[in-house]
Amino acid sequence: MKPLIVERVVKQYADKTAVNGISLEVDRGEIYGLLGANGAGKTTTMRMVLGLIFPDEGRILYNGKPYTKQQLRDIGYLPEERGLYPKVKVSEQLVYLARLKGMSAADADKSLKTWLERFGVPEYYDKRVEELSKGNQQKIQFIATIIHRPKLMILDEAFSGLDPVNVELLKSTVKELRDQGASILFSTHRMEHVEELCRNITILHRSNEVLKGSLKEIKNRFPKERVMLAADGEVSGLEELPGVLGVKRHEHAYELRIADEASGRAVLRHAMQQSDVTRFEIMEPTLNEIFIKTVGEKHE
Amino acid sequence: MNEFWTVTGFTFRNKVKGKAFLITTLILVLILSLAINLPYIISLFKSGGSDSPKTIGYASMQSDLAQSSVTPTLVGDWVKEYFDSQPAGQRKLKLEKIDGGANAASAEAALKKALTDGKISGYMLLEPSKETGFYSALFKSEKMLDNSAVDELKTALQIVKANAAGLTAEQKTLLYAPVDVKALQISADGTAEDAGRTASQQGVNMGMVYAVLFLLFMSIMATGQVIASEVTTEKSSRIMEVLITSVSPLNSMFGKIFGMFLVGLLQIAIYVAAVLINIQIPTNREALGNLDIHLSDVSPDLLIFALLFYLTGYFLFATLYAAVGSLVSRTEDLGQAVMPLTFVSLAGFYLGIFNLANPDSMLVKVTSFIPFFSPYVMVLRVGVGHVATWEVLVSLGIMLVSIYVFGWLSAKIYRTGVLLYGKRPSIKELRKAMKAYKI
Repeated sequence: MKPLIVERVVKQYADKTAVNGISLEVDRGEIYGLLGANGAGKTTTMRMVLGLIFPDEGRILYNGKPYTKQQLRDIGYLPEERGLYPKVKVSEQLVYLARLKGMSAADADKSLKTWLERFGVPEYYDKRVEELSKGNQQKIQFIATIIHRPKLMILDEAFSGLDPVNVELLKSTVKELRDQGASILFSTHRMEHVEELCRNITILHRSNEVLKGSLKEIKNRFPKERVMLAADGEVSGLEELPGVLGVKRHEHAYELRIADEASGRAVLRHAMQQSDVTRFEIMEPTLNEIFIKTVGEKHE
Repeated sequence: MNEFWTVTGFTFRNKVKGKAFLITTLILVLILSLAINLPYIISLFKSGGSDSPKTIGYASMQSDLAQSSVTPTLVGDWVKEYFDSQPAGQRKLKLEKIDGGANAASAEAALKKALTDGKISGYMLLEPSKETGFYSALFKSEKMLDNSAVDELKTALQIVKANAAGLTAEQKTLLYAPVDVKALQISADGTAEDAGRTASQQGVNMGMVYAVLFLLFMSIMATGQVIASEVTTEKSSRIMEVLITSVSPLNSMFGKIFGMFLVGLLQIAIYVAAVLINIQIPTNREALGNLDIHLSDVSPDLLIFALLFYLTGYFLFATLYAAVGSLVSRTEDLGQAVMPLTFVSLAGFYLGIFNLANPDSMLVKVTSFIPFFSPYVMVLRVGVGHVATWEVLVSLGIMLVSIYVFGWLSAKIYRTGVLLYGKRPSIKELRKAMKAYKI
């Protein structure tokens, strides 16, 4: 039984539909990406999964069972906008939050110390949150989400406001939790994070699912339209080739937009006649491109 | 239930550890101690300053000596005699005879001179009054003398007037013996145990009612504001989103209210302890006793009902403050949002305070059954008015029912409000949101 199944949920606010028939399934040890522009319905979907609001239609199952209060204890939530008590000591509020999730105080304290150690900030134990930098508050918030070892995590923009080093740190932690069997519903605007972490994704646009499935499959569905070409010498006349739609000249390479995969062959042949080719790659579409294409097209 | 106590404990610990708690508690303890010690302190100053009686001059005139009738000089002598006969400790004035020369004109000049010399602090002139057939007195001094000096003179003249009428000593004693009037408050529908309250008991009860009303008002205002702002802060800092995924809103709201209640209780316990300790100081006990204040005069039923109404009043208002706090997204908007609640509380407080002397009016009777007002007004009736026990119990019952109803409503508002961000929702928007969230 999958830890989280969302079945065709619909949520209506007065005259506006916030979520219109979204379905998704998150397996054990899986990170599921929930993507969408601002106001697409991500937060509403997450709030329904959290049981804060109830769907008008459809249902949400946790390990095959409908929502009960008991499940809250197995859920860890990282809200998009960070929330901690600014004037309360890190140790006090994290132990408090963990105790609300049913942990014993001693257990919570131990868990907190372990995590602070892991993140290299054991000295924050006795600090008040307002004394910490934004990035470090983010670390604390992250610990608050996972301190009670939840089986289902809902991470809304988990890595915003962090420097690259700390992004790596949290990313590796998320991966580790995934490998330990946690199910994670993950939302972000940073497509490269999704590409790195998520097996399956849903792209929402204006309350509707517009794209859904495994990342690989989705990428295959989109034609490969980009070619990266690098050669020792100059390559001229690329623009005149049939099937080439545009050429961007980078410092050490050319980036070409082509009409279809077959046109790539002509490009390679043409380049090899002029110089030694050091790199030739028909690129997969990036998720970024897919996202902009899907969401952007519908926009018009 | 566990969650509830966790929230309560967290709220309590954070508040008590805060600097604000320490400072406000200390300041109030100081003020209370000062207030209790005040009668003693004042008595210290009194005994130093006004123990020695003031000296008032009057003139003896040659023109009077020849006459045998009641002359101004003679009346002056009588007044002097009157004050001299008083025991030294209670004597407020002392009369000094000044040689006034031949007639009234020279007499006033002599008195003025004595005044400038500092021998006397004022002088008295007597002139025949046609209306009364006796003398009317004119009291002159450079500084305004306190009214008590004039009153003393008046009393003295009143008494010596009897000399002029030629009354015997017995007649005078009879005339001036004070008439004893004692006031006892009873209840007309007269239950047997109701032995009535004496004036001093009534006074102490009134003071007690005043203290309870004030305490309740302050607690509701201060604690209510804190509860509301805590909720708003949690909401605006978005920790609320984490909280409500961990704990049911009902537990989180009532845990907070109860935690704050314990904080308030601790504070009040500290104040009461401060008051009791101060009262036990012998000098204070004496000073308060002199003022006819005995704590044993407080009716026990007043204490019990005051406590009950304090508790119910606190919880009724606190739930509403929490609900209002949940509707506001920014702390800056909070003051305006809690205004209506503050006004209701203020109205109840004023109803109580302004009717202290008038505890059996229709207004008081009616409002003592209206929740929000009854914690103030019913305490007033129990303390200084007439009220049957069933009335108090009915009023308490109404309070309990309202706590249940408003607690339920507040919990719903709270549950909805904490998820609504942006501008403060109208009632219509709130209803819509409640429906949408299926709360």
